[in-house]
Formats: sequence, structure tokens, C-alpha cells
Amino acid sequence: MSTGASGPSGPVLEIADVHVYYGAIHALKGISLEVGSGEIVTLIGANGAGKSTTLRAINGLNRPRQGSIRFQGQEITGTPPHAIVKGGISQSPEGRRLFPRMSVTENLEMGAFQRDDKQNFAEDMERVFELFPRLKERRMQKAGTMSGGEQQMCAIGRALMARPKLLLLDEPSMGLAPIFVERIFETIVEVNRQGTPVLLVEQNALMALDVANRGYVMETGRIALEGPAAELKVNERVRATYLGEG
Amino acid sequence: MTTAAATLQRIRSSSLIDAIGLLILAAFVVWLIYKFGENPTRFLNVGIIGATNGAIYGLVALGYTLVYGILQLINFAHGDVFALSGLVASTLIISVWGLEADTNVILVVLGLLATLAITVPLFATINATIERVAYKPLRRAPRLAALITAVGMSFIVQNVSLALYGVDFESVPNFIPRTSAIEIGDVAIQWNKVAIFLIVIPVLLVLTWFVRTTRQGKGMRAVAQDTEAAAMMGIDVNRTISVTFVLAGSLAAVAGLVYLLQFNIRYDTGFELGLIAFTAAVLGGIGNLTGAVLGAMMIGMVQAFNEGLDGTPGSDWTRSIVFGILIAVLVFRPQGILGERTPEGA
Ligand SMILES: Nc1ncnc2c1ncn2[C@@H]1O[C@H](COP(=O)(O)OP(=O)(O)OP(=O)(O)O)[C@@H](O)[C@H]1O
Ligand SMILES: [Mg+2]
Repeated sequence: MSTGASGPSGPVLEIADVHVYYGAIHALKGISLEVGSGEIVTLIGANGAGKSTTLRAINGLNRPRQGSIRFQGQEITGTPPHAIVKGGISQSPEGRRLFPRMSVTENLEMGAFQRDDKQNFAEDMERVFELFPRLKERRMQKAGTMSGGEQQMCAIGRALMARPKLLLLDEPSMGLAPIFVERIFETIVEVNRQGTPVLLVEQNALMALDVANRGYVMETGRIALEGPAAELKVNERVRATYLGEG
Repeated sequence: MTTAAATLQRIRSSSLIDAIGLLILAAFVVWLIYKFGENPTRFLNVGIIGATNGAIYGLVALGYTLVYGILQLINFAHGDVFALSGLVASTLIISVWGLEADTNVILVVLGLLATLAITVPLFATINATIERVAYKPLRRAPRLAALITAVGMSFIVQNVSLALYGVDFESVPNFIPRTSAIEIGDVAIQWNKVAIFLIVIPVLLVLTWFVRTTRQGKGMRAVAQDTEAAAMMGIDVNRTISVTFVLAGSLAAVAGLVYLLQFNIRYDTGFELGLIAFTAAVLGGIGNLTGAVLGAMMIGMVQAFNEGLDGTPGSDWTRSIVFGILIAVLVFRPQGILGERTPEGA
């Protein structure tokens, strides 16, 4: 089930000492992390820690001032976003960012924009509808008029339409009712089981650590802690800060 | 409690505004019906003039609305690009192809097509170059910077026209006869007007088809709705913006020729016409293609009725009326006639 040119042994994504600035704001102060093939890796941390900035840097939206981002063994730092997507990284961004005046179907189509193999397109659309039957009922509806939960499903579906070799998810459970949160996490596990490595940013640290293999904890632009998810889950500091205990 | 009361208040006042707006609209429609009853032939003949001018305004308005939709930039230079394209078309027709009023119809058609074959790619390139040179470097700068640059580009293009063509009006012979093509009673549509629709309607259909169904067109809509999300989907944003300016420049070139076939043109024609076309785009709901044409048709009609019917303020007031309508529409329906109110803003 492994994908990519670097073979089963090398990590799919390697980030080393990445610094990102917003004007004068030093948002990422030397981030290093890895996602191995077949892994679910979670990135947790307080608001403003730099989680979204990290995903945006991987996607080419924020250009690092320093450091290196390697995907399947190749340097992608400074590559424009559209080329990075074509290379196989897709993202379901924070706040969903659907195209509000396009239908669900058109949004899903946009997810497959850079793909050359149009023949598998219908099949992939079916796969997304299987994961989220609700979207199938709503497929003609303008995305901007759907409920928050439905929009979130559409955003994840759209990211899957790219047939990514690495899936970036930024707070996929945000603002969702508990049953939908369950559904989203099941979907993440299912997608990963089918062979796609996932880098998952979550506020819901407990559930994220439940499904992830490994985790990183960010604090104000730095990685404060890292390790196997099972270990982070019992870590005192993590429990006190992110799991609402202590 | 207080927020509920405030919401209620807002709903009330907005429905009041809607009611006033509808009242004004109804009064206008009643007036039109009355005028039609007074003298149907004149009314229809004037209406045809309005529709023809509206169609030309519409071609120019599309260029504004396309660019605004994707960059939220009012490309003031668009009107001047349109005027320059008309001037270049006049040179090609008169001095290069040497077409004259009595030239064979087939040669005229070929000559006009050959003109488009040159001006369309030329002005598509010029327009895309303007974007690359003047607007692209300012994409991350405050909106105002790009706007001022657009005003500057407008002056530059206008000055190029002035330098090349001087202050005189350029015109071409009446190739297309002013004889009636369609005649119902005393209502007549002349060939030159029919010709305009024969050009404008297919252009509109092709443009709509392009934006609705092609990959590049869908990319344009995606960039217009959320540029960053579009980049995240693998859409090449820079390329998409260039394509938009290429399209807008092509439309300007077509509009330039169509205008030239109907009217005289000179270096500053684009200023006035650009203002009208931009107003039309806002009226219809800026960013909305159908809206731009609809708004342009409305302005064309209002202008024709004001100047062609009795009991109206007359041509001295046309500009005031057109902009009065714009202000009224913006008060009663800020998003324009066909603009959509979305959470992200139209
Ligand atoms: N466009 C921007 N301009 C300026 N500063 C920004 C911008 N985007 C983010 N920041 C700042 O960068 C830092 C990291 O932001 P980021 O959005 O990556 O945090 P996050 O970990 O995703 O937070 P959250 O959990 O709230 O989504 C914050 O201090 C934020 O204020
Ligand atoms: Mg975030």
C-alpha cells in the first residue's frame, strides 16, 4: 500500500527547521516534523500556536524564509501551490473554504482540478458519496447554502478528489455535532487504511490522539513535544493543557 | 433580547427600503406602459436604438465585470483599451485593407474578420501585459494601490491613443446598409443594428459556455470565489488571472470594432463609454456576466427613452439620470440586480 518514489522506508513528508513570517510576526520558529507512509500524524496545540501556518507552508501558500520541506524525497520549498497539489498533496483547509456559489458536485470537481486521469473521476465521486451519503442528496445544492457539517464533509471530499499521496486536514471536526465528529474521524481512519498518509490538525486532541500513530504538540511557533500518540495521551503536560484535566 | 430587537428593526427597515424601491420601479413601469400606449411605433423604434447601444455597452461592461470578479479591481484602463482597439481597427479597415462604402459585401465581411483576427490577439496580449506589468506586482498591496494604478494605466493608454491618432474622430464608411432588415408596420430594425446583435449574441454565448463548462472557465469561477482555496485545489492562480485579462482584452477588441461600425471614435471615447459600461456592470451586479449585459441594456434603454420620447428631461440629463439610477439601485439593492448576497460577499 505504500506510495511514492522514496519507497516504503523513507518518510513521505520531512520538514526541517522551517521558519515562516507574517510581515514582522515570526509565526513558525523552526518547525521539524515527519509523516511516514501509511501514518496518521496529528498536530495539536493552543490557538495561534502555528498549526494552520504549518499546513499552509507545506501547501506552498506561506513561503518559508528558512528551512526545508521535502515531499517523497524531493525538495518542494518555494514551489507554487498548484504544482504542490499536482505533486500529490491536498488540503481540507481551516474554515472549509468551499466555493460558495458552486454546487457540491462542482466543488468536488475542483478538488480533482489538477488530475489528468479524468476516467476515474466518476468513480472517485462515488467513493466520496459513499463516505458521505448526505453529500449525494445535496449534490446540486450551492455549497454556501449548506449546513456547517455538510460543508465540512464537502471540504474533506474535495480534498480526497485529488487522490492525494498526502492528505492535510485542518480542524476537520470544528463546529460539528458529536455524531458528525465521529463520522469524520471514522472517515479519516478509513482513508488512511486505504493507503493515504494523513497530517491532522485538531482542537479535539483526545480524538486526534486516538486515531493517530504519532503526534506533535505545538506551542507558539515551536514543537514542544512529540512522540507516539499513545504516549502523548498519557503525558501529564498534554493532559493538563489539551485534554482538559489537571 | 436586544439583538433580537435589533434584528427585527433591521428586517423592518430593509423591508421598508424594499417597498420604496418597488414603488419607484412600479411607477417607472407604469410610465413606460403609458408611453407605449401613446405612440407604440415610436416607443418600439426608440427601444430598438436603446437595445443596440445597450448591446455595445454590454460588450465593454463584460470586460469590467470579468476582471472585477476575479481581482476585485476596477480596471479603469479597460475603456481606453477598448477605444484604442477601435482606432487600430479603423486604420486596418481604411489604410491597410482599403475597404470602401461600395466594396463588395464578401470582401467587407472578410475585411472585418481579418480586422478581428489582428485586433483580438493584439489587444488580448496588451491587456494581459497591463496586468503583468501594472497590477500583478500590487496583488498583495492594499486595494487602493491597485485602484490608483488602474487610473494611471487608463491615462497612459489614453495618451498612447492621443499620440498615435491625435484629437480627431476616426470613422469608417457605412459598410452595413441602414436599410430595414425587419419591418413590422412602421417599426423597423436596420441591417446595421441586426449586425450588432449577430456579433454580440454569439460572443455572449461563447463566453458563457467558456466560463460555465470549460476547465479554465471553472478555474476562473473558483479563483473569483476564493483565490486561496483555488490555489489549494491546484489551480494556477496567476495563469487564471492572465486568461481573464486575455478574455477581457478580446472582448474590448470586438467591442471596439462594433462601436466603430456604428459611431465615430477618438482617443477619449473610452472614458465616457467606460464609465457607462462600468456603471452597467455595477447595476447588473458586478462579477455577474448576465448582470453586466442586463445592466447595459437597461442603461441603453433609459438613454434612448430619455433622448427619444417626449416629456422627458432630454439628452442634457442623460448622464444624471443614468447615475441617479445607479445610486438608487445601490441604495435599494446594493449587490446589483443579479448580484448574490453570500456570506463571503458577492
Ligand atoms: N495572515 C496573517 N497575518 C498575520 N498574522 C497571522 C496571519 N495568519 C496567522 N497569523 C498569526 O500567526 C500565528 C499562528 O497562526 P495559525 O493560524 O497558524 O495558528 P493555529 O495554530 O492554526 O491556531 P488555531 O487553533 O486558532 O487555528 C498566530 O499568532 C496568528 O495570529
Ligand atoms: Mg488554525
